[in-house]
Amino acid sequence: MSFNDESLVDYARTLDCIHCGLCLRTCPTYQLTGNESSSPRGRIALMRAVAEQRLDARDPAYGEELDFCLVCRHCESVCPAGVRFGEMMEHARASRARVSPKAAPLRFVRWLAFGHALRSRLLLSAAHGALSFAQRSGILGRLAPSLGARGAGLASLPEVPRSRDRELLPPCTAAQGERRGDVALLEGCVMPELFGRVNRATASVLSKLGYDVRTTREAVCCGALHAHNGDLAGARELARTLIAAFEKQAAGSSEPLPIVVNSAGCGAHMKELGRLLEDDPSWSGRAAAFAARVVDFSEFVAARLPDAARARFADPDAPYRVAYDDPCHLCHGQQIRREPRAILDGIEGLRRVEMPNSEGCCGSAGIYSLLRPEDSLAVLAPKLAEFQATGAEILVTANPGCHLQWQAGLSRAGSRAQVLHLAEVVDRALPAP
Amino acid sequence: MALSAAARRELDRILGPRGVVDGAVASLAYESDGLALIRGTPEIVLLPRDTAQCAAALGVLAAEGVPVVGRGAGTGLSGGATPVSGGALVGMARMRDVLELNLQDRFARVQAGMVNVDLTNLCAKHGLFYAPDPSSQQACTIGGNVGENSGGPHCFKYGATTRHVLGLVIVTADGQVLDLSQPRLEPDGYDLVGLFVGSEGTFGLATEITVRLTRKPAAVETLLAVFGDLDGACDATSDLIAERLEPSAIEILDRLTIEAVEQSVFRAGYPRGAGAVLLVEVEGSETEVATTVRDVTRIARARGALEVRSARGESERKKLWAGRKGAFGAMGRIAPDLYVADVCVPRTRLKELVLAATRIAAEKRLKLSNVFHAGDGNLHPNISYDRRNPDEVERVLAAGREIMELCVAAGGSLTGEHGVGLEKREEMCLVYGDDDLAVMRRVREAWDPARRMNPGKLLPVRGCREARGASLPRRAAPDHAPQAHGGSGR
Ligand SMILES: Cc1cc2nc3c(=O)[nH]c(=O)nc-3n(C[C@H](O)[C@H](O)[C@H](O)COP(=O)(O)OP(=O)(O)OC[C@H]3O[C@@H](n4cnc5c(N)ncnc54)[C@H](O)[C@@H]3O)c2cc1C
Ligand code: SF4
Ligand code: SF4
Repeated sequence: MSFNDESLVDYARTLDCIHCGLCLRTCPTYQLTGNESSSPRGRIALMRAVAEQRLDARDPAYGEELDFCLVCRHCESVCPAGVRFGEMMEHARASRARVSPKAAPLRFVRWLAFGHALRSRLLLSAAHGALSFAQRSGILGRLAPSLGARGAGLASLPEVPRSRDRELLPPCTAAQGERRGDVALLEGCVMPELFGRVNRATASVLSKLGYDVRTTREAVCCGALHAHNGDLAGARELARTLIAAFEKQAAGSSEPLPIVVNSAGCGAHMKELGRLLEDDPSWSGRAAAFAARVVDFSEFVAARLPDAARARFADPDAPYRVAYDDPCHLCHGQQIRREPRAILDGIEGLRRVEMPNSEGCCGSAGIYSLLRPEDSLAVLAPKLAEFQATGAEILVTANPGCHLQWQAGLSRAGSRAQVLHLAEVVDRALPAP
Repeated sequence: MALSAAARRELDRILGPRGVVDGAVASLAYESDGLALIRGTPEIVLLPRDTAQCAAALGVLAAEGVPVVGRGAGTGLSGGATPVSGGALVGMARMRDVLELNLQDRFARVQAGMVNVDLTNLCAKHGLFYAPDPSSQQACTIGGNVGENSGGPHCFKYGATTRHVLGLVIVTADGQVLDLSQPRLEPDGYDLVGLFVGSEGTFGLATEITVRLTRKPAAVETLLAVFGDLDGACDATSDLIAERLEPSAIEILDRLTIEAVEQSVFRAGYPRGAGAVLLVEVEGSETEVATTVRDVTRIARARGALEVRSARGESERKKLWAGRKGAFGAMGRIAPDLYVADVCVPRTRLKELVLAATRIAAEKRLKLSNVFHAGDGNLHPNISYDRRNPDEVERVLAAGREIMELCVAAGGSLTGEHGVGLEKREEMCLVYGDDDLAVMRRVREAWDPARRMNPGKLLPVRGCREARGASLPRRAAPDHAPQAHGGSGR
């Protein structure tokens, strides 16, 4: 069944929930507060009450519960009834935004991020250029305190890399060694700006595995952040651009070209584009075909790594201790848990340790860490302690938001542990063929 | 019963940030527990962090004469934690610390809001576990387990919650702290702790609970026996009991339940299309386990099992159990709502009564599935329905009542493990007379003279004669009642 943008909250979906409560314990906001209105079951009850007109969608407390949710989708992984919570939340936020415009500062952040910056490469690098300048010049440090809690979020942002590190990938990175085929790679919006090095590592791994890696400049942002925050119209528009760009790029290839994604949040969203455009007859088929092409970096690589030469990160006699932290939108959004671990376990010179709650949210949650820095840090705190207790020297993640969050958290805690994207680890370990 | 502004301020002061919640949003999120059919609107929700805060808050409520409903995770299925309109709901969800872990004497003292599975996870690395394992253990709290005297699949062997509670700290209706956590092993005089377990929040609130931890057995085998129909699985269970075999758990899932589980995130690998599966766990020394496994297999085959196999290793065992425990929720795929009936019957009559329940549901055009603790004779006929259809709701309630009456008449009991709550309070008259109930009321008033703790739950609000007329069937002979272990799990 599809959601209908017009309905305040899709009533039928809220009925999937049988109110069993099995989702309470894993919800980070319920963990934090012990308050059931901040739990998945509670939020669904509220959406249902709105649909049944027992609650006014403009009630600020309702808005607060929607905003407080990290959309980590942990509740989906434990819900026996198969409630599609992430999707419900996107629609609940969209419908609320229509009846009750956001408070001014948040609206500004969203306007900047969604309306403009993320849609245009030029503006995006200008924005990051400004942030970078602000950081290097120290303006931000001076400004941050006056912005209150939100300033703390900005001040803890990692340094934006200098401009040469922010270069985009070439349209094609050629395969090394024996050629096995072509792949498309999504560069993404935030990735090239903050994590150009991760994109380069990704392309390098794929090319070492024998693939020509093709990118496209016609698509910028996949729209995941828009959708999560309830801007469904914006998300649909970006989705169409994205689909068209990758279709065009693949024109001429005989088989559907896999689209490798190294950001868990983007990947989860892109795999679900079929549902987002379900009600649009001219796009639904194309969206479903596009979604079927999307693979996470770890899925693609895990299936192909054994063929390659032996991967070695460090001297096996002096291994690094690493912990893998499941990005929510990889484990809960895409049900991918095994592959990243299998990859790490296959690399010499790494000793992998498990964190007790690796599937719990780190509090990054897209722009959540900027909008609600205090809650975001409170969600991270227990995970930070658990990571430190493992004694690991490297934290491996597979999503840019989590990457930033961990970097900020660890540096604040005075830890010397490094944060690396899985692709960076593999790239360093994998010799050129 | 509105709270005065001064009392409200006092509660804010006692409970600190995010400790007091009210308004439309809070009351909607808390309007029911796992039994979504019945709702109430709390005036205020209080979230204490420890015994002292809880006691101080209850003191304020006592002075204001406000009714108090205790709540763990709200997974109860009989309306025990449904708010009383105009009353306060005291949630234990911020009280989940371990206060003491004694590995030598094998006990733990925890706050009441600790989630059942967290307790087991906590002591797993020391080779211990907390035995009562309700299917809701991923969410339900130790305090809620005490409130309901909950069971679980493995309570067939280990007994329900009451056998594992060694001590309690209780906050009474007037905000006094009653420390019953010493001595830990045998009470001198009246066993007040034993009395409190299963009181469904009508005596007071448990804030700290001392529980026995159990040593993990040397060997475990989990058997899955596949049957063409439900009858074979029921017969095999009756035979297992008759032969006095002692597995630690005997559970049955029927065809509809298997289908639902296999479509859910808890997909366990139960064979689709099977009429029923019997899930049996055997624990003990290597030799005990081997002998029992052989006997169970023989009996299952004799009753027509198409296949009997053992879980290969720990991860498959976990999956088989996770599927069983996710079964109720998985039924959400079949219809929006699920009514979980909970009755106990003599285990020699399992087949007959399961059949009767099926017939009752069919007569009322309702969709029935079965997943239950066969070993304890604890049936859970589950009826899928949609609460927006008032006619269907009527039929569900009528079917629930008929099934209950039938089981009681057959020598069973009203509830296996989910408690009486709001749902079955009038049915207490099926098993007790006014005189019995009068004694229960006096016990209750000894704890809470003003009857402010969870009012309207557990005991019928009217006299039985008035409620039902004089012709109510009384339980045939109490000693037919199911099991020495007491009610056990789902
Ligand atoms: C999917 C599912 C599976 C289930 N499986 C089982 C099963 O296998 N076995 C079983 O026995 N039950 C089962 N149940 C029922 C339920 O989970 C249990 O009754 C459980 O013990 C309730 O715990 P809770 O923390 O949710 O308590 P709540 O539902 O919040 O409260 C239950 C009762 O205890 C009282 N209470 C709560 N906390 C305290 C306290 N600290 N002090 C005093 N009174 C208190 C409440 O007032 C209420 O009367 C299941 C429920 C679901 C939804
Ligand atoms: S686990 Fe699923 S069905 Fe159960 S309360 Fe949570 S969302 Fe609802
Ligand atoms: S998405 Fe995450 S934060 Fe939101 S309700 Fe589900 S578990 Fe809680």
